[in-house]
Amino acid sequence: MRHRIGLAVGPATFRIGSAWRAPIDALERLYAAYPPVDLDRRVPDFTVRLQPTRPWRRLIRPSIAIAGDHMLPDAAPMALDHGLLAAEMGMNLQMALGWRRHVLLHASCVERDGKALVITGESGSGKSTLAAMLGERGWRLMGDEFALLDPVAGTVFAFPRLVSLKNQAIEVATAGLPPERLGPRLEGTAKGTIRHLVPPVEAIARMAEPAIPRLLLLPRFGFAEAHRPVEQGEAFVRLTEASTNYLALGETGFRALTRFVREVPAVALDYPDSATVLAAVEALWSEVA
Amino acid sequence: MDATYRAEPPDQIIRENLGAIDALYHRRSGATHLVAAPVPQILDALAEGPADLDGLMARLAARFDLGEGGDAARQALGERLAELVALGLVRDDRPAD
Amino acid sequence: MSEGSRPDPQDAPGPDAVSGQSGGASRRQMLRLGAAAGAVVLTVRPGIAQAATSVLSCEIPVPDPARASQAVAPDGTMVPKGSTGAFPGGRTFTGEQVRTGLRGGNLPGTSYEESQAYLNYVRRLQHGRSGFTCYASLMMPR
Repeated sequence: MRHRIGLAVGPATFRIGSAWRAPIDALERLYAAYPPVDLDRRVPDFTVRLQPTRPWRRLIRPSIAIAGDHMLPDAAPMALDHGLLAAEMGMNLQMALGWRRHVLLHASCVERDGKALVITGESGSGKSTLAAMLGERGWRLMGDEFALLDPVAGTVFAFPRLVSLKNQAIEVATAGLPPERLGPRLEGTAKGTIRHLVPPVEAIARMAEPAIPRLLLLPRFGFAEAHRPVEQGEAFVRLTEASTNYLALGETGFRALTRFVREVPAVALDYPDSATVLAAVEALWSEVA
Repeated sequence: MDATYRAEPPDQIIRENLGAIDALYHRRSGATHLVAAPVPQILDALAEGPADLDGLMARLAARFDLGEGGDAARQALGERLAELVALGLVRDDRPAD
Repeated sequence: MSEGSRPDPQDAPGPDAVSGQSGGASRRQMLRLGAAAGAVVLTVRPGIAQAATSVLSCEIPVPDPARASQAVAPDGTMVPKGSTGAFPGGRTFTGEQVRTGLRGGNLPGTSYEESQAYLNYVRRLQHGRSGFTCYASLMMPR
């Protein structure tokens, strides 16, 4: 393809190819602090291709189809203005469908003193926003979308991609942060307005460091503050729902997740606003760490 | 004539206790099932060897208090076994008609 | 997840029911064989469609490109172009638009009858047709 860039995020490496220059330029700027990947010297784990839906659509009403080693049929093409988002989605898709070295949990994750707080929930639960805010308040951000569970050691590994913030959360999570850490405002996406946040420099520098999971949090945004312990069986169900490769990993996945829920306490936390959840997290953490 | 129920070979099902429920991994199918009482107890009773419905009732009654209503309990056991057979966790060697 | 309801933690065995070893008392522990609150087995279902397709929005062409030369009858089946009462198709809808339509809204840019025809087409989608994976992911619980 005409334009390309190599990226490393956590343990995974990607080649992003694109028929257009602009998405690659955006990736170059926002991933500047990440370790370089020389595509002429190493074979990346995954390839993502941003390609026109038809050859003439590269120039006329340009529209991006996300392709790569792993693809989803029926994926909707995206506007060229959303090229950065298309690249990020393409990388997520490779991980979700193709990563086998760890149990992939659809969860955000932050670390303190070598111990990890794993936060799982549906879209809209606030897990990305919460992780981003904790990452600016003394925690190391390990990831906002995926946490990688080592099936042998039981430790969690980081996948600190660009944090994807949506709608109202953008202002809340990015207040006071310098513009060089922010991607463009992307309006009119399928999920509303999206803005990407570059993780803190230390989070990127330490992205190869694992952590021992110590608390599993299941947050729900938009409710009066309340929390309750979650039984092992329920936590197991929630984690299997959150894992894209649990079934593919077979017995290995089974042993990894049963061990996780037996060893890591789980708490469901309802919260009305960010101040409440940040305080509640610190209080819950002090009980387990 | 009643069916003979048979457990899967002992190495086929991995069981992990998760508090109030057990998680089962069935190697042959790759499926994960979460089960509550009386399923683990039925599987344990069947692990002693193949049995028909009455035989299994007797084994369970020897270990547990099954409450009142022998017929209701027997019917319930039959339903549980049918569910387990449908999932492949128990084999049903029904004799040919 | 699976169609059966999950074993409810509230229905967990009580203190004198089976949960572990008996303490050597002469009275045996209770074992309830009936399923009081739904199924006692919950089978884990793939999370892939839910988790991976939440990452991308998907779309459903009506009809799929291989049938572009035909028209869509009110019941969603394919009929020759020009058939009375049939609609031309040639539209593509996002998963979100179809979900709204299935819940009672109209597909964008269509009359009520045309929208119903296209939704019936979607309901008839089979594995292998364009849009089936998208439709299937809409149908998954949650």
